[in-house]
Amino acid sequence: MRPRARHREFVPAMGFLLPNFLGFLVFTLGPVLFSLGVSLSNWNLQRTIPFEWIGLENFLDLLTNQEFWLYFVNTGYLMIGMPAAIAGSLGLALLLSQRLRGIVAYRTLFYLPTFTSGVALMILWKALYNPSFGPINAAIEWLTGLHGPEWLLSTANLLGLDVEQVGLTLKQWGLGARDALIIMGVWTAIGGNSMLLYLAALTNIPLELYEAAQIDGAGRWQTFRSVTWPQLAPTTFFIVVMSFIGGLQGGFDQARVMTAGGPAGTTTTLAYYIYTKAFQEFQIGYASAVSWVLFIMIFVITLINWRFGSRELNY
Amino acid sequence: MKHLTAVALVGLAILSLVAWAIQPRPVADGRIILTWVSDDNPARREQIALFNRLHPEYCVELDPANSGSEKVIVQAIGGVGPDLFDCYDGFQLSAYVKSGIAWDVTDELAKAGIDVARDAWPAAFPNALYEGRTYGFPTNAGCNAIWFNKDIFDRCGEPYPKGSWTWAEFIGVARRLTVQEEGGRVRHFGFLCDWWNWPQFVSQWGGRLYSEDGTRCVADSPEACAGIQLMQDLIYKHRVMPSPVEEAAIATAGGWGSGTITFFGAGKGAMALGGRWWLCTLRQYPNLRLGAVESPHGPYRVFRGYGRATCINKNSPRRAAALEFLKYMAGKDYNDLINHQADALAPVIRYCFTPEFLHDPEYPAEDFNAVWRDIMKVAVPDQISPFVNGNVAGRIFEKQLDLVKNGQKTGAEAMKAAARRVDEEIAKAIDLDPSLRVRYKALTEKARL
Repeated sequence: MRPRARHREFVPAMGFLLPNFLGFLVFTLGPVLFSLGVSLSNWNLQRTIPFEWIGLENFLDLLTNQEFWLYFVNTGYLMIGMPAAIAGSLGLALLLSQRLRGIVAYRTLFYLPTFTSGVALMILWKALYNPSFGPINAAIEWLTGLHGPEWLLSTANLLGLDVEQVGLTLKQWGLGARDALIIMGVWTAIGGNSMLLYLAALTNIPLELYEAAQIDGAGRWQTFRSVTWPQLAPTTFFIVVMSFIGGLQGGFDQARVMTAGGPAGTTTTLAYYIYTKAFQEFQIGYASAVSWVLFIMIFVITLINWRFGSRELNY
Repeated sequence: MKHLTAVALVGLAILSLVAWAIQPRPVADGRIILTWVSDDNPARREQIALFNRLHPEYCVELDPANSGSEKVIVQAIGGVGPDLFDCYDGFQLSAYVKSGIAWDVTDELAKAGIDVARDAWPAAFPNALYEGRTYGFPTNAGCNAIWFNKDIFDRCGEPYPKGSWTWAEFIGVARRLTVQEEGGRVRHFGFLCDWWNWPQFVSQWGGRLYSEDGTRCVADSPEACAGIQLMQDLIYKHRVMPSPVEEAAIATAGGWGSGTITFFGAGKGAMALGGRWWLCTLRQYPNLRLGAVESPHGPYRVFRGYGRATCINKNSPRRAAALEFLKYMAGKDYNDLINHQADALAPVIRYCFTPEFLHDPEYPAEDFNAVWRDIMKVAVPDQISPFVNGNVAGRIFEKQLDLVKNGQKTGAEAMKAAARRVDEEIAKAIDLDPSLRVRYKALTEKARL
């Protein structure tokens, strides 16, 4: 292409790109860089504390802060349900990819939780988890004759994580608020975007591969293991990466609507902690530092996923 | 597809026209619009309507979506804050003042002959007064008493409680009023109490949250621990108050305050610790026969006082106009309305000493208003320390109280842990803030001498 022609195309191209680019600059990149700067300061909305650049002090402080690590553990714990959610999405996608009558209606039904208001769902789940009158405990009692857990009111958890320090204790072993949020999260995620991605990926698998497998005498399981699963590897990789990112950033809505971060801080995640620090305790500098640590964690985990996970993408 | 797009476009156009047609009409020209960030309820709307009627040159609009101190501070600093906003406690006021968004109205109110310290209930002072200056006017003032359900008392053959009593006397009555059904489920509890009232228990046992000078958290004193322990004992030892699980089983949503009010209204509790403002909800239960009596006390006869104040955004271009709203709050019309609505008590003391306050002709059954007025005289506001962020301290106490409420810790264990954490936060705060450091040093040296 001649330089003059290229220049002629450059101006309209910029015209099309500029509005979006300006929006990105002002509303995304700008605030992100601003928060990086703020994380190196002691900025507090209560103006009696003179503004000062304090270098890495916020970062060093939070690394030795018990609270930060407790909420980090909470965040990690709430991600335990991720494999179940991904496996469930795949299973559901496999079912919904069958040629059945009314399949569109089924797909819509399973996708319903994703486009239903999150707050409405959380309020509904809160009622389901009611320890005395909730249908979940009623079912447990009916099936086993035992009283169900106290769910959102309990600090107990399956690993026995301590409430006040990072560590394990038998006293906390059981089912509690964190587990309740995990179950709800898995239920929401199974019929969500991961299922849609798997559905799309399943339709893209060449039929010849299945035909070849059939000719070779492969059974259902062998076909899945040797054809479907490897063909879904890029999608699975993408879903795993996105789930990690979502999981590390998650927990805010549930804490805000269902538990207020309790009982005793057991459902406070890093995202909710950032909100509390910045907008309830007014420590903007410190909250920005936590945000950046969270970003670094997400970045490192994504890199690890990329480094090791992408090896499995064999085509 | 083309048809579908056309239908969608026509549909959207029709909806836009409908939305345009039903949009609220702009107010008449020349009126000054003031935005008040407060909670939305019928009483608040009536208070605004009265002001707009009395002052036709202004139009106050309610903005419930932006309530919460964090939103107010961030928006006001960003230059898009409301003209008027509410303040619920001493710490919030200090945050507003330190953030530079609360307008010091001491001189302006003095010119209008208004003096908060002279006119209003002392329990409401921390919401409006900060370090000797006035930053708002109390919207209302409140304290806790015991509400009782006369029908439950009658059914149990228990005489109505009267006057001053201790918790020991109270527990006996509450036990007799806690009635279980055959299956073991509790039909009604003897007592209902929201846990945010915990400072009242601490002060009734002679405890404090902070030392006199505010430099130390002393919530781990034996007195404070005893107060908190009583709260736990009311659930697990005396079995007169619902545990968190039992509470969840009967919780109902909506209304002002908490589910406790609707729970009490539905006859699930014989007595409840609450304010006069509960009436805003309880009046909706036409068959509820109510009584009220002074709250029980511990070794000390003190009660928790609280309230709300309305402040003016220092950065508002309409702050002079907003001042008219504060003057309205100091006047008779507003105070009479508050008493009539039962939105706690009128902020100005003298308007609570009227015959209409004691016997509102519209509510002849409410013969207990003197109880609130008498308690207000000895009500004390929650303590705060200038050396610790009240929200940080609140979060620490809340976490420990959750453990007490769940029966995982005793009052003493929880308060000891809380006091240690609050003291750590005090140390952090004075390390960060030079002005606090100077003040802290002066006070601690004075104490040492």
